[in-house]
Amino acid sequence: MTGVIVSIINGLLLGAIYGLAAIGLTLIFGVMKVINLAHGAMIALGMFALYLLVSWLGINPYLAVPVVGVGGFLMGFCIYWIAVHRVIGRAELMSLLATFAVSMIIVGVGTVLWSTSPYNVQVDMPGLSIGRYTIPGNHIVAAVVAILVAVALYLFLYYTRLGKAIRAVASNRQASELMGIPSTRVLAIAFGIGIGIAAVAGSLIATLFPFTILSGASYELKSFVVTVLGGLGNPAGALLGGLLLGLIEGSVSPFVSVSWTPVIEFSLFVVILILFPAGLFRVGRGR
Amino acid sequence: MSDTILQIRNLEAGYGEVQVLWGTNLQVTSGQLTTIVGANGAGKTTTLRSITGWVRPSGGQIIFEGDDITRLPTYRKAELGVVMVPEGRQLFGDMTVLENLEMGAFSARARAYQARNLEKVCHYFPRVKERLEQKAGTLSGGEQQMVAVGRGLMSEPKVLMIDEMSLGLSPLLAQQLFQTLKELREDGLTTLLVEQNVHLALALADHAYVLAEGQVQLEGPAREVADNDEIRKAYLGL
Ligand SMILES: Nc1ncnc2c1ncn2[C@@H]1O[C@H](COP(=O)(O)OP(=O)(O)O)[C@@H](O)[C@H]1O
Ligand SMILES: [Mg+2]
Repeated sequence: MTGVIVSIINGLLLGAIYGLAAIGLTLIFGVMKVINLAHGAMIALGMFALYLLVSWLGINPYLAVPVVGVGGFLMGFCIYWIAVHRVIGRAELMSLLATFAVSMIIVGVGTVLWSTSPYNVQVDMPGLSIGRYTIPGNHIVAAVVAILVAVALYLFLYYTRLGKAIRAVASNRQASELMGIPSTRVLAIAFGIGIGIAAVAGSLIATLFPFTILSGASYELKSFVVTVLGGLGNPAGALLGGLLLGLIEGSVSPFVSVSWTPVIEFSLFVVILILFPAGLFRVGRGR
Repeated sequence: MSDTILQIRNLEAGYGEVQVLWGTNLQVTSGQLTTIVGANGAGKTTTLRSITGWVRPSGGQIIFEGDDITRLPTYRKAELGVVMVPEGRQLFGDMTVLENLEMGAFSARARAYQARNLEKVCHYFPRVKERLEQKAGTLSGGEQQMVAVGRGLMSEPKVLMIDEMSLGLSPLLAQQLFQTLKELREDGLTTLLVEQNVHLALALADHAYVLAEGQVQLEGPAREVADNDEIRKAYLGL
């Protein structure tokens, strides 16, 4: 029984990170109606960015995480202008193709640089013992950081001028221009934030598991599941959706083999899409 | 005080292949309330949208305080003080009334006056004051219109353009809003008003333009336009 509880706790900890990753995806969709297919590539890039910072500069992985976030933001800001700006407001297929192209380029370059063999970042963090089970310390820290980042994003969106401007542009771009809000710049910033969050999520995952440049793909898929659980374009729902996905993973993993996880996840994905197309959580849409 | 603050010269604009404005000329005088009247589809909304840059003019010039602002992006014009309250209110429905008003004061110039203007909006629209924490999307149509005008006032406008303020409102509410507009004018606000409700608009305005088929057919002091039977029949359907 303790084993199952520990597994559920571990699932929830991971779920917080799934949630954070999904927030990056859902923020971009919510603000500019772009489904970012480079999301997984950015997660993977966040993993490698952490690896490089730690192995080259020798800094503590947790101190490197914010650096990865800032780097992700800057990269997202640039990608917006290069690949996304021109397809905003056009047919959805255009932005899917544009971001898919970005993904292919990043994964391609990453494969050249780092091949597809696994890397890992060493983290020493005492765990928490429950009976003969242990909850790894790095999982606890990663989950706490993920939740802190999600809360910080919430505070930013609801209590700062720029954050409110992002919500205004998401709500009505035309009207926000009429109010003097430079909406294009705001979109670029929002895209940067979405990518920055994806990169941070990737860097947190890198403190837990070995990874390759292709690892982002499975987290991208999880982000889609989470987003569907939480309601597309709803950051608070994404965090709850992530926790729910983690809960499900944690509850089934003691009983079935790992290969069943994606099967269960995607069956859930389809069921939720059919039964609750707007997501399970109608929360977090303002006060 | 008869300075021209905004001048539109030979404005041409449209949507894709369809041209709507065919050389529209008009002027807005500082401190006055100017109105554009005309039948449905005459191009009134398109004129305002062209001034803000929402619709890109294909020809002509927009001169504001002596500078050509024709090609500036919409948000830059708003920063300069050319502000539009769009038809259909276009509030940020998920955001609170207060947040909507804050967004009105987004530009650096308007931000400097944010506190003063918020007080002003609460003074002119006591009902808005009561609803500051409510989501804008949950308000009644009349309240939403008040927020929309209030949000425009928060932008510290030098010219406030209002499109169809009374559309969809009860006659009583429309009267009230027009009364507020009158007070604002007395406080020195320069307004360019587009209104379905021609009676109210002409009764309030200083100067009127009659627009038909994308051109100004006639202009003059609002009272003269209102009293001219031929115009009333030909262009205003009264
Ligand atoms: N978004 C649009 N796309 C295409 N045509 C439009 C659009 N908006 C208005 N029009 C057309 O432009 C003409 C002028 O419309 P408008 O400026 O809205 O007139 P008004 O405000 O005087 O009623 C109409 O014939 C209308 O059908
Ligand atoms: Mg109109």
